[in-house]
Amino acid sequence: MTTSLLTQFLYAGLATFGFTIIFRVPKSDIFVCSLIGALGWLTYQVASGYGFTAVMACFLGACTVALLSDIFSKLLKDASTIFIIPGIMPLVPGAGMYRMMLELINNDMSGFATEATQTLLSAGAIAVGLLVMGSLLKMIRMAGKKIRAAF
Amino acid sequence: MVNVFQKKILIVAVYAAEIMMRNGAEIYRVEDTVTRICKAGRIKHVEVFATPTGIFVSMDSGNENDDPLTYIKRIHETGTNLSKISKVNHFSREFFDTDLSVEEGMDILREIDREEEYPYMVRTLAAAIVCSFFAVIFGGTIIDALVAAISGVSCYCFSIMFRKLNVNSFIRCFFCCGLAALIALLAASSIPDASYDPIIIGTIMLFVPGAAITNAIRDFLSGDMLAGTARLMEALLIAVGLACGAGVVLKVWEMTGGVLV
Repeated sequence: MTTSLLTQFLYAGLATFGFTIIFRVPKSDIFVCSLIGALGWLTYQVASGYGFTAVMACFLGACTVALLSDIFSKLLKDASTIFIIPGIMPLVPGAGMYRMMLELINNDMSGFATEATQTLLSAGAIAVGLLVMGSLLKMIRMAGKKIRAAF
Repeated sequence: MVNVFQKKILIVAVYAAEIMMRNGAEIYRVEDTVTRICKAGRIKHVEVFATPTGIFVSMDSGNENDDPLTYIKRIHETGTNLSKISKVNHFSREFFDTDLSVEEGMDILREIDREEEYPYMVRTLAAAIVCSFFAVIFGGTIIDALVAAISGVSCYCFSIMFRKLNVNSFIRCFFCCGLAALIALLAASSIPDASYDPIIIGTIMLFVPGAAITNAIRDFLSGDMLAGTARLMEALLIAVGLACGAGVVLKVWEMTGGVLV
């Protein structure tokens, strides 16, 4: 990777900004959405830099996006999907999908299997990241309610 | 005997649900909205079953003279318009908290439904931004980014045209990605510094099924297995369409003597 983390952060933010326009995010939330997308991608990059595999990095990125989306949805009083959908876009393994197809065309079956596994696991890691963070936040909220009710 | 007020509430609730579902909301949010609107109309028994392809609402006011009402709404095309979801969400809360009349509620919903997307030019520009920055992120040069912007604009216009013709998402992604691969290959063979990999990846990212994956997971999380499975299949279909589109063009290019750099 020739580009530094800061430029990666900026590029991912601008790319997410593009998605916010396409998905018609309300004007007041566009900046926050772009920020979440950029931070999710930054997490992915930093995790890759520390030697995590792409799958693990995707998981951490998805966790970041889910957590930040939840926080901002509470702060800005808006549905959390509005923040998650654009935010998750940079992490979706489009490149893996492309490389997988390339190996298939070159008739390199072992390469295809490697890429396919990698891509499927990355997509799965995003899913698990959202799932884990979602249930965790739900549990924390429930516990909070119970504690408040007890006193 | 049909209770007219009950019927009106039902129509408002189903209309709100339809707007949300067509614009990519999760199942629990749609069901919540319907329940909330019906409760605001003081209807005792409400049962909603929503899937990405249809909404079923049944209600009964509990009075002896009233018949229970059921409404089935089939959902055909779906897109992603997060602003409408947010607005209907706010509307349902407002409807619950204040004494809006049913007619006023219907007017507000109509207004939300009529709301336009961002202007066509702005969206095309956004597509160009998405494609060029992803091209750079995945190892492209400035020239790759420029070509990716061109390919993004043309593919996005192409996909909007297909959407107007009601072509299904698999075919749409197939042709859009094929076009992207063609543009990338032409650029790579005519411009010395351009390479086709980042250009194609940048354009693929524009059509990647991120919204479908996210919604599928959120549906699974809230226990709507049927809807989650349906959306996961949608995501898979789009992904296969994207890969096939680019793959077919690359293969044909190779076979007809074009050189893969």
